[in-house]
Amino acid sequence: MLNKLSDYRSDYKEIFKKDKKMYDDALHKKVGNITFMALIPEDLELYNELDLTAYNYENDIEAYTDKLLSLYENVLEKRKNVFDQRIPIISPVLGIGDYSAFVTGDIIFKPDTSWSTPCLENITDYKNFPPIGTSKWYKLFLKISESLMIKMKDKGIPYMRGFFSPLDLAHALRGGKIYYDFYDHPEELHELLDYCADATISFAKDIYALAEKHLGNTEYGCWYTKNKINMSEDIACMISGDLYNEFCAPHTQKVIDYFGVGYMHCHSRAMYLVKEICKLNNVVHLWLATDPNQPRPIEHIKELVESANGASLAIDCEKFSEIEDNIELLKKGNFNIAMPVKNIEEAIYYSNKFNELIKKH
Amino acid sequence: MILENISASLQKGKATEVKDFVQEALNQKIAPQTILNEGLIKGMTIIGGKFKRNEVFVPEVLVAARAMNAGLTILRPILVASGTHAIGKALVCTVQGDLHDIGKNLVKMMIEGQGIECTDLGVDCSPEKIVESVILYEPDIVCLSALLTTTMMKQKLVIDELKKANVMKNIRVIIGGAPVTQDFADGIGADGYAPDAASAADLAVKLIMEKRNLMKNVK
Repeated sequence: MLNKLSDYRSDYKEIFKKDKKMYDDALHKKVGNITFMALIPEDLELYNELDLTAYNYENDIEAYTDKLLSLYENVLEKRKNVFDQRIPIISPVLGIGDYSAFVTGDIIFKPDTSWSTPCLENITDYKNFPPIGTSKWYKLFLKISESLMIKMKDKGIPYMRGFFSPLDLAHALRGGKIYYDFYDHPEELHELLDYCADATISFAKDIYALAEKHLGNTEYGCWYTKNKINMSEDIACMISGDLYNEFCAPHTQKVIDYFGVGYMHCHSRAMYLVKEICKLNNVVHLWLATDPNQPRPIEHIKELVESANGASLAIDCEKFSEIEDNIELLKKGNFNIAMPVKNIEEAIYYSNKFNELIKKH
Repeated sequence: MILENISASLQKGKATEVKDFVQEALNQKIAPQTILNEGLIKGMTIIGGKFKRNEVFVPEVLVAARAMNAGLTILRPILVASGTHAIGKALVCTVQGDLHDIGKNLVKMMIEGQGIECTDLGVDCSPEKIVESVILYEPDIVCLSALLTTTMMKQKLVIDELKKANVMKNIRVIIGGAPVTQDFADGIGADGYAPDAASAADLAVKLIMEKRNLMKNVK
């Protein structure tokens, strides 16, 4: 049984206030906000324990959402004494297949993730797709989301959903051929990316309308859906900054402009993209995931502060001393720092230590 | 000059130009092996170096590799007729449970760019399929790609199956993919790890040469 947000985070008003300040400041290029998230092993349990192949999603929506919520509840319960700045959220977890299958096609489910298969043999084939909003997974995802939201009603826990950027979506639909399209079919690629922008806007708009309907009356239920869009720029990490600016930026911007502000995601292998993504209008946040064998963002704070253009950057560190050692540099930007810990006790210890550190600075 | 043109056009991904220059070089009676080494492979090596240094990215590598293949369509029949062989053979694949193919495709292209014959088994390849293919194709190098932390463990399973099938002594196994590290490669008994496609090709050449020298010494 899912409890109210206040039962899981007695300090929820304070963390929302801090979060809001960070993004408001980021929007106005003001800096100096640093927040901390302790990543406990239990955070990942949800993904390990949810067997995505166990459901026939057309018939088992209630069973799926019950299981998902029970797993979220378990994590939220375990974290309740961890006073970091991680905002509790609930989001459908279906792997990554649904991130593009909402346009057309089906999803291949594996126990811990899912895939959709590319379906654009020719780059202009999307013109033959069913109208946006009519596909099986578009409707099914809305039903799954609505089931979750109904069960989250009155709890005040934010519902969140991320989306592929137009390029990520185009890549999922087109497959590896898209890399050739930059040179072979530049005009058609722009048209495809524009189609993907429109598809994402339509999908997000419909999901957000449901969130407004079911969670709009709670204090923070719509926190992550009001005037915001979360998008990944994973495929952009495979291309140059020049190609990003020419092909991707205008279409990503179109989606951000529709909703208001952009919360973005890319990878540390493409540190050069931070500058390009953060110069888009109204990008207030970028989650820069650390890739194995690639530069670690925590070791490049000075450059990142310059590239971020005020946007808050979510990065990670391995040791608390990396925060302590970089605190003066971190204050020159807006940062959300995640650190994996071994257990709840460590999460509590380091969260308190971080809060003390921030008080001192 | 013509060899430089081949290399330069290849680096720009101009497939038709590369084809035309290769034909022109043949018309000028330049040896096919020289065209291959000083034109095509040289161009691809430069692209590989730029890729390692983040000066070019995936689209540029792919169009360059395509241009190389365009040149090879002219050159290959002549090289085969003259008895020129590839420097070695490689198998590439993405391991079971993983459907990512871009890393694997880049490795294939880079390896071919070094004059190695390459068989692509595709994605989601079971250890059994890989063992069968090793027995069938008799490669020098087996390249295993995995993009996920969950699927990288399948690289170990493949090596275990190759050991069971008693074919490890004839091959060298290279692993790669975003979550993979040298430590992990050492831990699972791989012969090598490469952080990117261009490095994988360099490593493949090195391992093939080492293997050849070892065989010579054994004989």
